[in-house]
Amino acid sequence: MAEMWISMGPQHPMTHGLWTLKVKIDGETVVDTEPDLGYIHRGVEKICEARDFTQITPYADRLCYASANTWSHAYIYAAEDLLEVEVPERAEYIRMVAVELQRIASHLMWLGAYCPDVGNLTGMVWCLREREMMMDLLQELGGSRMHYNFPRIGGVKRDLPIGFALRCRAKLKLFLDRIQEYEAILDESTIFLVRTQGVGYAKAEEMINHGVSGPNVRAAGHNYDVRWAHPYSIYDELDWEPSVERPSIKGSDCYDRYRVRVEEMRQSALMVLDGLDKMPGGADTHYQSGDPAILGKAPARAAEGQTGFHHFEDSRGESMFYLAGGGDERGKHPYRVSIRSPMFITIPYASKCMIGYKIADIPAIMGSFDPCIGETDR
Amino acid sequence: MVDEGQNYTTFSSRGLLDMVGDLNDKALEASRMKDFIGVLGGRFLNWAQRKSLFPLHLGIKCCALEMAAAGAPRFDAESFGVVFRSSPRQCDVLLINGPISKKFADPVVRLWEQMPEPKWCIAMGECAISGGPYFQSYNILEGVDTVIPVDVYIPGCPPRPEALIDGFGKLREKIIRIGAVPSEETEVRGAPIIVADD
Amino acid sequence: MGNEVNAKQILSAAEEIVSDVADFGDAVNAEVRYHTSGRRKNAYVYIEVTASQWRELALWLKKSKKVDYCSMITGIHWPENADATWQVVAHLLRTGVTNPAVVNKRVHETKVDIEGISGNEVPLEFEISMTIPETREPSVPSVADIWVGADWNEKETWDLVGIDFDGHVGMRRVLLPHDSPTGYHPLQKQHKLRYHDFNEMYDDAQGFGRKPEDSGRVK
Repeated sequence: MAEMWISMGPQHPMTHGLWTLKVKIDGETVVDTEPDLGYIHRGVEKICEARDFTQITPYADRLCYASANTWSHAYIYAAEDLLEVEVPERAEYIRMVAVELQRIASHLMWLGAYCPDVGNLTGMVWCLREREMMMDLLQELGGSRMHYNFPRIGGVKRDLPIGFALRCRAKLKLFLDRIQEYEAILDESTIFLVRTQGVGYAKAEEMINHGVSGPNVRAAGHNYDVRWAHPYSIYDELDWEPSVERPSIKGSDCYDRYRVRVEEMRQSALMVLDGLDKMPGGADTHYQSGDPAILGKAPARAAEGQTGFHHFEDSRGESMFYLAGGGDERGKHPYRVSIRSPMFITIPYASKCMIGYKIADIPAIMGSFDPCIGETDR
Repeated sequence: MVDEGQNYTTFSSRGLLDMVGDLNDKALEASRMKDFIGVLGGRFLNWAQRKSLFPLHLGIKCCALEMAAAGAPRFDAESFGVVFRSSPRQCDVLLINGPISKKFADPVVRLWEQMPEPKWCIAMGECAISGGPYFQSYNILEGVDTVIPVDVYIPGCPPRPEALIDGFGKLREKIIRIGAVPSEETEVRGAPIIVADD
Repeated sequence: MGNEVNAKQILSAAEEIVSDVADFGDAVNAEVRYHTSGRRKNAYVYIEVTASQWRELALWLKKSKKVDYCSMITGIHWPENADATWQVVAHLLRTGVTNPAVVNKRVHETKVDIEGISGNEVPLEFEISMTIPETREPSVPSVADIWVGADWNEKETWDLVGIDFDGHVGMRRVLLPHDSPTGYHPLQKQHKLRYHDFNEMYDDAQGFGRKPEDSGRVK
């Protein structure tokens, strides 16, 4: 039988972003794949060389648009490493609330895009409805529905709004009940189980060697998480556990990766509820913007020779920013901003995972790795 | 292609149809019915089409999430007749929601040309209007109107889903007043309508 | 309670690595550095190595120190510095991830006992830097066969910065269009951004927002 290459081209309803997956098929079986990225390469690394350190935060937001807060916080931690800044504890709690709410919103967007991939349109509208709840909370915190520009070097831009703790607790308690609804329509649906179980096997050590991390590796049986392994922020003071799934002997399949993310949503919701209880100063006090309780002092310049980097647990894996100082004569711009995107490394691996399965399995496997092309193409 | 071994007559019905069509055309032109039918048909089609615009399932960058949220239950674009279609051959509107890189400029033009007339284009978000925050980039075009003609611009970074639905509303007003201009006459088109606070 | 790896565990693991690296010879310098991650001072290992010794160091790190994850390999262009015009920075991580144990044909997921780990199992961050003097065709050995995660990182570094990797199979343009001119690597410092010399105080072209006392001022 003749083999042919088909191109799941840039405009495709199921590729979760703008990229081409060229697939070589022999009948219905996938024999080889080749991903083709770069359709939204914006040159962010070059643009950031002409921006002040505070002006880079909005660019970091727009890297992975489904998960904006995790990226701007990853950048801010790296900038604080470069500029050697102390952060007050209350600011760390507020940052944690923002990051974990964003993680829930990102996983809801993933599930809302994954359900139609495997044929379940109800899941899409239910997940988008819950995501609106999270967007409302994030809009109260950050000021806009997406791209909040929330952290500042040394703290956060403003404190929790008055009444936020009450609304957040009510919405998260409702959300924890709604997660059970998703499990009802997905875990008990034969079609979903047939399409995701036994498909797209991946083993942990192979994934780590390939540079894959985050929920994809936790689905394969090891609970490695940057939040406890290379610790930052106040995660040690919260009551949480990284969610890990028990895979089969052949490795983790799409169903495991789906279960890990649902469990992570639950853990993030519990983390936020816990953090609101343990916040120094109480979750109901409101400091003005710029108060030293939520914003530390930060220098604006970095000399040549100073560097800073930070590994961060993004919703899709381990992301990293590397900054080198000494940009222009005054030191206000970075000399080099280097961004490590987990999806840039996971997409070639996911493309390899598809070999041997049928064409109909391609959206299920690709979707289960949660691609987001904004961060891939930078 | 008609084969020798088949039982058709070699009389070409295609030629007969063309001849009748030409005669009909000349008769209608002579009696000025053609203009009347054209105007009436065109206006009727505009009236019918404006509330049932089918955009393309094209998600480029962040504004695509707001487009998806516009289709979500809270904002519900489908109740305004906006149904997303996956193939450009079945669409009326090309909704550009992100920056156009040099690599994607060619596919965008191909998608535009694959869409059948009448067709419109909406530039959603700052990146599609002018390059947005990436106007200095070496790889991003300064706005999608450098490669395809745009009818409605929706500013915002990203524009809220309500703004997107309002943009479709402005496109509706444009259709009922101007209609779609066929591609040979695009230079005749007037200034595009910018959706802002009215 | 959320457990995390202790700062002391990290520091002792880092010091162990630094003292072992001293056995490599003069071409390799290692030291323990600290970085502030918000409110902490965690240690990491910083190694400076020459390009010729990079593969040997990488193999040793992978085999005897169990550094199993390549996070990023990136390049920087320093045109004013003639001795070290091209710099390659590699960030590696020791994660300690292993395949889950199979006992009696049943898979058991691994939940790491964080207080009990020591030695080669402590997660650790590495930053490795190598420089190349001024040349038209900078090149370092590739480690894509040691860590497959380095493969696409090296493609991107070549694509954007222009540093070639010896021994890398299948080098191609990954972010820029495939038909970009040969030798065009935008992150080199001689390529400037669009409007890079636009230093007006206000960036409105018609000047409606300008005040008379600001005439002639630059940003």
